[in-house]
Amino acid sequence: MAAIGHGGKPIVERIMEPAEAVKKIQGLPQVPIRSQIANEVIGISYGFFSPLEGFMNQADVDSVCKKMRLANGNVWSIPIVFDKSDDEIHEFGIKAGSPVVLTFHGNPMAIFEVEEIFSYDKEAMAQAIYGTTDVKHPGVARTYKYKDKFIGGKITLANRPKINEPFGPYFITPIEMRKKFEERGWKRIVAHQTRNVPHTGHEWLMKGAWSQTYAELPIDKPYVGVLVNAIIGEKRKGDYIDEAIILTQDELRKSGYFGDHNHLTSLTFWDMRYAGPKEAIFHSILRTNLGLTHHMFGRDHAGVGTYYGAYDAHNLLATVQDELAITPVYSMNWLYCPHCGEVTSEGLCNHKSEWQKFSGTLIRSIVDDGVKPPRLIFRPEVFDLVMECAEKYGFGSPFVTDEYLEKRTPVFSIEPLKA
Amino acid sequence: MAEGKYPINLWVNEDRYAKLQAAGLAHMCKEAMAGLKVIYVYANDAQRDKILQVIPQAKFDSATTKSIELIPRKQKDKIFDLVIQKKSIDVLDDFLKMF
Repeated sequence: MAAIGHGGKPIVERIMEPAEAVKKIQGLPQVPIRSQIANEVIGISYGFFSPLEGFMNQADVDSVCKKMRLANGNVWSIPIVFDKSDDEIHEFGIKAGSPVVLTFHGNPMAIFEVEEIFSYDKEAMAQAIYGTTDVKHPGVARTYKYKDKFIGGKITLANRPKINEPFGPYFITPIEMRKKFEERGWKRIVAHQTRNVPHTGHEWLMKGAWSQTYAELPIDKPYVGVLVNAIIGEKRKGDYIDEAIILTQDELRKSGYFGDHNHLTSLTFWDMRYAGPKEAIFHSILRTNLGLTHHMFGRDHAGVGTYYGAYDAHNLLATVQDELAITPVYSMNWLYCPHCGEVTSEGLCNHKSEWQKFSGTLIRSIVDDGVKPPRLIFRPEVFDLVMECAEKYGFGSPFVTDEYLEKRTPVFSIEPLKA
Repeated sequence: MAEGKYPINLWVNEDRYAKLQAAGLAHMCKEAMAGLKVIYVYANDAQRDKILQVIPQAKFDSATTKSIELIPRKQKDKIFDLVIQKKSIDVLDDFLKMF
């Protein structure tokens, strides 16, 4: 049975066999790409971004900006664009109607069937997607950094990425993901979007969402799973290192706070845009393509600063809910109540004057001050693993440093192409 | 509009607790987060803005805790030392004079 993704379209992997790829790339102009584009090539090729078959043409970009839809009418909220300058287009011999081979780290990665080269007003794009043209917004800054020309056309992966350790087990493609769900007998799966090492507030968000998702299903067997889908992309100094994020999320299962019967950790390559409501729509599409049925959304989902209201994402999701094949699960914050002596939901506990709210940032400040957080707010197994990751992968720090950015093993590599 | 009151959490590790005890200030610790000891040093709006300006790594957690976080350990140690020296949590003006 075909795997059906966003818009009711079957998931189709756009991947060429190596022998064919070696022949096809011969004589084609080679165009180097940066990590954001390489991440998106993977997203397109494996069907994470279905029904996209390539980088957007002008009609799609314009429609996404003005109507939050692809030109074919499917809901889509963030332009997926390939940018180059006029000089680069000339230098690499990029022409509409002629394929090129995209290279990453010096090796061939994908064939790009160039269909159209166009310009688009970047300020209008920023305003449409982010609701602001303030360059302090990281998504707006990213948009302004795009080169002046956009190139649309279909992508076919010519060389599968080698996922480096420890990330290998967590790169699960949309087609493979459905098999995992089937093996586990899950009827409903709720997505937990993350870029963080989990504290117990996160853990209880997942447990609460699992419970909400379970609803009226029978309880004779485990029918509901939580899929942690970590976003792995551009890192900024001070973020948790990728290795700590993915391994600690999985540690919650390994240490028994969840189990094989209800928890799975995976990753998706994507450079966060912090587009708040528009990113929430994008996340819904992405997780639909991964085969999920439900998606957690907290307050100010994927927002940054004070650009978006707490419920803007929920309100925007409601406008297109009928066209998204995934059910939103709205989550209230979890906090520590000293009166209850436990982590509880702000929707349940009424000791409001005693509440102690905590965040990843607050826990980081505890760790920075040389204090081990108590198990009620940060699991000891998670803490120990964070420290282990700091030594093993982070050059002594669990947070991204200049040294980490310079010397880390990349999450994936593109190796020389061999038939 | 009422003046804001934004805590800087000085989490009290063993070293800090020993210093507080030696200075007879252990009573300044509050208990938070299921058993941790902490000293809250409060910033007003102007102090918060100044801290965020002079310590670029610092972050105001506007979404959840309304506290000033990610002040590097060395800077927090200076705030802590001022607390000990002045026997008071009203130390941020003195701290900011260092910049």
